Amino acid sequence: MTERVRLSRLVQVFAWTGLTSLGGGRTAYFYDAMVMRRPWLTSHEFIQDLTISQLLPGPSFSNLGVALGVRLAGWRGGAWGALAVLVPGALILLALTWLYFHVGFTPHATSAMRGMGAAVVGLVFVTTGRMIRAAIRDLRSLLLSAAIFLLVGPLHINTALVIVLVVPLSLWLHRPRSGS
Amino acid sequence: MILDLARLTWTFLWLSLICVGGGLGVIPELQRQVVDRFHWVTAREFLDGYTLSQLTPGPTMLVSVFVGYRAHGVPGAVLATAAMFLPTAVITAIITRHWATLRDRPWARATERALAPVGIGLMAAGVYTLARTGVHDWASAALALMAGGVMFVRRFPPVLAVVFAGLIGWLAAF
Repeated sequence: MTERVRLSRLVQVFAWTGLTSLGGGRTAYFYDAMVMRRPWLTSHEFIQDLTISQLLPGPSFSNLGVALGVRLAGWRGGAWGALAVLVPGALILLALTWLYFHVGFTPHATSAMRGMGAAVVGLVFVTTGRMIRAAIRDLRSLLLSAAIFLLVGPLHINTALVIVLVVPLSLWLHRPRSGS
Repeated sequence: MILDLARLTWTFLWLSLICVGGGLGVIPELQRQVVDRFHWVTAREFLDGYTLSQLTPGPTMLVSVFVGYRAHGVPGAVLATAAMFLPTAVITAIITRHWATLRDRPWARATERALAPVGIGLMAAGVYTLARTGVHDWASAALALMAGGVMFVRRFPPVLAVVFAGLIGWLAAF
């Protein structure tokens, strides 16, 4: 596999995107940084990696860092990609954790955190809309993703159970047919 | 002490393995283990730690830093976090690397087509969960709308919208 992106550049962009992806919904920032703003990946490729990172065990954001890193720069890309998205945030959180347990937080800080959390909802909403437009091309896919959304979101059914039920159904519906 | 450190590491390791579909699904089980079963943090601390980890850069599951630190200081934070991220990162690297060589086969393409709607559906469910906690009154809804609108402006870094919203939140507390 050829390296699509130089390793130093990859670490730089992953770390910067990771560091500036404040407030949850990190996937949205990565989509924005690698598909919308840089010609590193197509929307289709991004969604493939995102899906794999969600279906494999483990936190999906670090899995996504690994999957995108492997695709862009091989094994080393995967290792460095994961470190670049994890380590800066872990150090910041460690510092804040220390502050929380030894100094305490003011109401202002809590209120600022709430404001940031609200803004993130807007960002993630728009990005998810873009991904739906790029990935959902037929009624079958639309119904499958709507079913997953309803079961996992509003209906609160256990995610693993939903995956076990819906993935085989989707595989069967999308099975390769002779002549296609 | 050593025994409890091992217990902490093991708990985060098996929790990481049942973390399928984005991580949000594992939060209730994580809370049961670290609050009710082993008493590493109180329920209130867990909620605050979870919010903190959501708002700092990096995955929300970095809440392992918070819980690990409370339980056993820096070694606890390092072990819990390594247990949460390292084994599953290795699994992902191996599978994506091998998948890359199979990608052009017809069944592999069909699998990818079949899995894409699953990924999109899970992502949409994540947005729903995020919105349920993040948007609770007209002020937070206005901030969300503002940030969403900014996404359509080219060259405007989305993080500025988030920082700006944080500033508004800060001022609103006066």
